[in-house]
Amino acid sequence: MSFLIQQTLLYAVPLMLVALAGVFAERSGIINLALEGIMIFGAFVGVFFVRLMQGVDVFASAAKSGGWLTLQGLELLAMLVAAALGAVFSLLLSFASVNLRADQTIGGTALNLMAPALVLFLVRVIANQNTLQMATGDAASWFMIKKTTLGFDRTADLGFFGNTFIHKVYLATYVCILLFVVLSIILYKTRFGLRLRSCGENPQAADSLGINVYKMRYAGTTISGALAGMGGFVYALTTANCASTGDVAGFGFLALAVMIFGNWKPLNIAGASLLFGLFKCIAASYTSIDINGDGVFWLKELSAKVSFFGAHFYRMLPYIVTLIVLAFTSKKSRAPKAEGVPYDKGMR
Amino acid sequence: MKNSKKFLALALALVMVFGLVACTDGKTNPTAPADPTEKVDPTPDANPTEAADPTDAPAGPNADDIDDNMTSEDGKYQVAFITDVGQLKDKSFNQGTFDGVKLYAAANGKSYKYYQPANGDQATDDDRYDAMKAAVEGGAEVVVCAGFMQEAALKKAAAEFPEVPFVFIDGYPIGLDNVAGISFQEEQSGYLAGYAAVKEGFTKLGFTGGGGGTNPACCRFGYGFVQGANAAAAELGVNVQINYSWEYGAAFQASPELQSMVSGWYETGTEVVFACGGSMFQSVVAAASANDGAVIGVDVDQSFESETVITSAMKGLSSAVQWAVAKVYDGTFSDIGGQGTSLGAKDDAVGLPTATWSLKGMNVDDYNALLAKIVDGSVSIDADYEANFGQTYSNVTVTVI
Repeated sequence: MSFLIQQTLLYAVPLMLVALAGVFAERSGIINLALEGIMIFGAFVGVFFVRLMQGVDVFASAAKSGGWLTLQGLELLAMLVAAALGAVFSLLLSFASVNLRADQTIGGTALNLMAPALVLFLVRVIANQNTLQMATGDAASWFMIKKTTLGFDRTADLGFFGNTFIHKVYLATYVCILLFVVLSIILYKTRFGLRLRSCGENPQAADSLGINVYKMRYAGTTISGALAGMGGFVYALTTANCASTGDVAGFGFLALAVMIFGNWKPLNIAGASLLFGLFKCIAASYTSIDINGDGVFWLKELSAKVSFFGAHFYRMLPYIVTLIVLAFTSKKSRAPKAEGVPYDKGMR
Repeated sequence: MKNSKKFLALALALVMVFGLVACTDGKTNPTAPADPTEKVDPTPDANPTEAADPTDAPAGPNADDIDDNMTSEDGKYQVAFITDVGQLKDKSFNQGTFDGVKLYAAANGKSYKYYQPANGDQATDDDRYDAMKAAVEGGAEVVVCAGFMQEAALKKAAAEFPEVPFVFIDGYPIGLDNVAGISFQEEQSGYLAGYAAVKEGFTKLGFTGGGGGTNPACCRFGYGFVQGANAAAAELGVNVQINYSWEYGAAFQASPELQSMVSGWYETGTEVVFACGGSMFQSVVAAASANDGAVIGVDVDQSFESETVITSAMKGLSSAVQWAVAKVYDGTFSDIGGQGTSLGAKDDAVGLPTATWSLKGMNVDDYNALLAKIVDGSVSIDADYEANFGQTYSNVTVTVI
């Protein structure tokens, strides 16, 4: 059970964060199709930063002597750098869609096409191969928090919650969850959030009340870019052994789907990501999932008995479930009214 | 609107430019400067004693110290290397083979170059053929091709350029006199690894292989691994369970799914996993490191890559390449051309790394004794995985996942 929860979180948290990135952009009135591209770029930036910092004495010696707090600091720093450059990358989209009033769908698609090519190009220049990895060691030994890092004995039993939430986890996961909560509150409970949302619903009315729609839209996409960049790095760190390959397995597009199926609302998005993450985890490791801890692996037994429930069935499952849920919920979902429409003051 | 169109055109043009650059770069690496700062692996000093395999253990130049790219003065590259799927620096098969090319070329003053077939893991026979053709046209005097998947392309290229010798690593004779097929008895190497793992006290093992079960080398590694584990388990009188999987390995790449699957194995008691497939190693190591598990590497000594690696099932890629390329230059290529050469323990071409030995269950002397038995045939290892893999083993339960 602990394993299931931990693995589900690993898949769900980047998805959740990037879907929220989509919400910030779309609620301000800009369709951010470039989530995938920004994630790829953010993953690259974060991994490259970690790789560079591994050569710096402070961190290298911390890794040797078990100074885990320093390493967690490095992790947070890398997240920040990925977020910052993700935001910069998203400025391309903001500029095209706010200042130039270009078609946002096409702008986003262009970024999606550009990011993997750019990243692969840079990776080849830097590492002369298709994957940029950490210079030494692996993500788990540098950044993962285990009970031994916290000073517990290797055999200590921390109980269910301890085993699940402070053993074999990444700090990044919790930072993302915290960020998700804080930003959701900002979106709904602050003046800034209200103004941002109003620009996505009726920018003309917002403008008439003295809100600078352009500024708000810039803010929305920039926050969106920062979150997507950070999400990309967190994805690479926690599920891809801190490697950048110019690919995030379509998580950016999945995040768009999650956003739509979460009806542009943070709580629904969190639920949808967890659902998807759960099935993704089941798909990859159904043979070793023991749901109630009684030593019976019934998913494995099922697949052994009935050939229909083979590996391929489980691998399809996350996507089938997404489709089914989408089919039932999409009728009720409602996109921000003014999203995708360039704001033109003269049209008021 | 005019502005937006301009921007769009600019963005699209940028996309195309970047795309093109990425493509050409990936294909033939045309402008590779011999710049020492471009060294691929920033950590060569972490493994000063790295010997590619047991056979060329005597202190020679370290392959990692030789640049992957060189610029020849006349623009011709005498020793060409065509990579298999997966990347050049996979710290495994491609890299081990290329190390042989580099070491030979550096020692004998030859120019060398690697060619990565276009389209990466989706490379078609045409892409491979194009790479071979580019190699020959680039002045190759010998072309080293890694991986059995090169067969179809080789048939075409070798027939078209009959005067150029081709060395087909992990290959077999294909009916052309200028192709030397060189294969390894991986089952022996896998056997040694499986035997050592069980002797180490592990009773729950894992095997995750590349190529989706169609790669003969990986199949032989896996089958030997099971036999070795069975032999040691019978000696110790224990029962051993093996999770045996080809999932998520079709492209020999690391993936989150593979990492999840292997994490699940470790979580449910698996103690050591044999990572038999190029870059898949990364995912297995990530899972092992998170769960304090152990890993067995493949093809080359991978203990320098991670502390989780307890040993590696090696094959002497580097020395085999040097041996074969040397035959081209001393004029004895006809001895191996047109035939298949299978290198095994008797040729000192497979085994575990003794220089970095860290196992406690058996020591280097035990290992050498076992190796001697394999050489003299008193321990026989079956290689016919297609017919016999599904047998019932006396002390091993294999769960195919």
